Amino acid sequence: MKNQRTRLALLLVMVLALTGVLSACGGGSDQAADGKVTISFLHWRGEDTQTFQKIIDAFEQKNPNIVVDMQTLTSDQYQTTAQAKLTDGSVGDVFASFPGAQFSALAKAGLFTDLSGESFLKNYNANLIEAGSQDGKQWAVPYQLVYNMPIYNKALFEKYGLTPPKDWEGFLKVCQTLKDNGIIPIAFAGGDIGPGQLMNTMVMNNEPSEDIFTKVEAGQAKLTDEFWVKTLAEFKELNDKGFFQPNSLGTKDPAAGALFIQGKAAMLASGSYQLSQNAKQNPELQQGLLAPITVSADQAKYEGVHTSTFMLAVNSRSKHPEEAKKFVEFLSQPDIAAQYANETGQNVTLKDIKYDSKELNIAQEWADKKTVFQPRYTIVNAENQKAVTNSIQAVLGGATPEQAAQDAQAIIDQQIGR
Amino acid sequence: MINRKLLWLFMLPGILLYTGLFVYPALSGLFYSFTNWDGVSPSYNFVGIDNYKDSFDSITFRKAFLNNIKFMVVVVVLQTVISLVLALVLAKNSRTHVVFRALYFFPAILSSVSVGLIWSFIYDPSIGLLNMSLQSAGLDSLMGSWTGDAKIALYAIAFVQIWAHAGQMMIIFIAGLHAIPGELMEAARIDGANRLQIFGKITWPLLAPSAAIVISYTTIQSFKAFDLIFVMTDGGPNYATEILTTYIYHLAFSNYSFGLASAGSMIFLVLLGILTFFQFRALRQEGARG
Repeated sequence: MKNQRTRLALLLVMVLALTGVLSACGGGSDQAADGKVTISFLHWRGEDTQTFQKIIDAFEQKNPNIVVDMQTLTSDQYQTTAQAKLTDGSVGDVFASFPGAQFSALAKAGLFTDLSGESFLKNYNANLIEAGSQDGKQWAVPYQLVYNMPIYNKALFEKYGLTPPKDWEGFLKVCQTLKDNGIIPIAFAGGDIGPGQLMNTMVMNNEPSEDIFTKVEAGQAKLTDEFWVKTLAEFKELNDKGFFQPNSLGTKDPAAGALFIQGKAAMLASGSYQLSQNAKQNPELQQGLLAPITVSADQAKYEGVHTSTFMLAVNSRSKHPEEAKKFVEFLSQPDIAAQYANETGQNVTLKDIKYDSKELNIAQEWADKKTVFQPRYTIVNAENQKAVTNSIQAVLGGATPEQAAQDAQAIIDQQIGR
Repeated sequence: MINRKLLWLFMLPGILLYTGLFVYPALSGLFYSFTNWDGVSPSYNFVGIDNYKDSFDSITFRKAFLNNIKFMVVVVVLQTVISLVLALVLAKNSRTHVVFRALYFFPAILSSVSVGLIWSFIYDPSIGLLNMSLQSAGLDSLMGSWTGDAKIALYAIAFVQIWAHAGQMMIIFIAGLHAIPGELMEAARIDGANRLQIFGKITWPLLAPSAAIVISYTTIQSFKAFDLIFVMTDGGPNYATEILTTYIYHLAFSNYSFGLASAGSMIFLVLLGILTFFQFRALRQEGARG
């Protein structure tokens, strides 16, 4: 009996010891002995750390009692592990959030501090930071701006006397002309990012509303409704007429990009984030953005699609919310935002930013146009999002638009039932 | 008495590691499978067995399960046959054979993520090695969309899995072949048996223990496949390569449905447990016979 008890005790000690070891791995920001406050800045843009470090240095010089400790995760990791780190409040006094699924999950968990009354919000283009608001409150401020529209090769268009078309007829004609001249009209990464990118401009005028997919997820609209079946039919039309490169479903992002950069394809179905990368690989490239208008010109409500992301937020579990806000305010100064934009090649959501590079100005031209927030990101449930993009892959693989829409709707119905 | 206590001490590191890294996560997975936890919120509700019901009803889960079975069967059959043929051809210890063995074994030491990336480029329909070679050989009709065609994508990945692991299994078969006494073969040859008869009556029965190891290892390995699919197609196109592991991953980490994903993991654990049980039983029987 005694022996058994000793054994039990031993087991208990082991478990406790292990818990101790694990919990000791936590820890983080706190007030140091010298009165300095350390705040942690958590984000996923590893490629931007150099620029951010410069900005942080400037911030620390202005605020000598605050130290900013920057931590980055890869964007995949950020989707998977950031929330756990943020929840215990040890890191990420200031953090970045993706719009859509992550934003709503974090909002539901109450991890955002309300920034509605902050004066720095006026530096932003109000239309572009809506993605960070919910229930009338500004929980996060989108910092980066991307246009999710096909990039086109201006030189190739000029060579064949083409201009960005204003309606669906015109778009098909442009594609046909390119194809007749031996050019791939659209390089399409059907195997990964393609459907998720091109669906945005394809659907924006078939159902010109900002919340169509919200309705789909609530069961108030269906993918079998006309707007989506029509979108799928138009995808199929592009595919059947050979306007994508052959076997587009097996093509991934880098390969599709290569076709465009080498001038073999006239359009690349991705987004403005790809512009500077393309220019780096082929400095001769003359690039522009265009959107396929899937309806007649007079019915077109939107000219393009934007996504505002890298949404800056202050952690509600932060021990130093004031200092954290100060840092967000610093990032929101037009000169700092311009420094960030020009050094990293990213457009930002702030007003009156002076961009240095050609590529950033290409996107900037779109700031005054009528663009809608990326429809795909308004699909909050990731399984639904996948069902939607997979229905595009299904029609490209030979399914009828009606069948593909029905299959995808069946999955969404299950999600609604849960 | 003192001896027994001492024994516990020696088991301590193993028990600690196993409890912390396996038992605890498995139990907490079981716990969360009865909740609707989203992986973020501090709170969650108990939902009973709803997650299990939802899993079995889920269209994606069913597709994933079916794909899992298809993938497993193809890999087990082809990988076993191919590695056996390689082993029979390369069993002799000549220098060229050793070189070839090393070559065929080589893919096994590459990380599967690298293997996936390499083959993604080989399979690319426009700039990939495979289609380009077919084209220059005048075999345009055979050019395909290897990972893009929903009908063949899963098999294209199964081929890569086999490419990466057949060499490894070949080594096990070769070890088994070397354990067969030469006198038996010699006696059979003297008695006038042809090669097929020798294989059927001597080699294969005596190779059975190795075959059992190869088959059981391959079954479990292919059932658990994740990295290749994750890298090459991430379950696409249109769920054609979604298997249980990628299904669970997507649920947990893109959809924040940790409760449902935990239920999926538990089902997966049970399936693997059943598989392993039968494998072990088969192995023991083979062992008793061999």
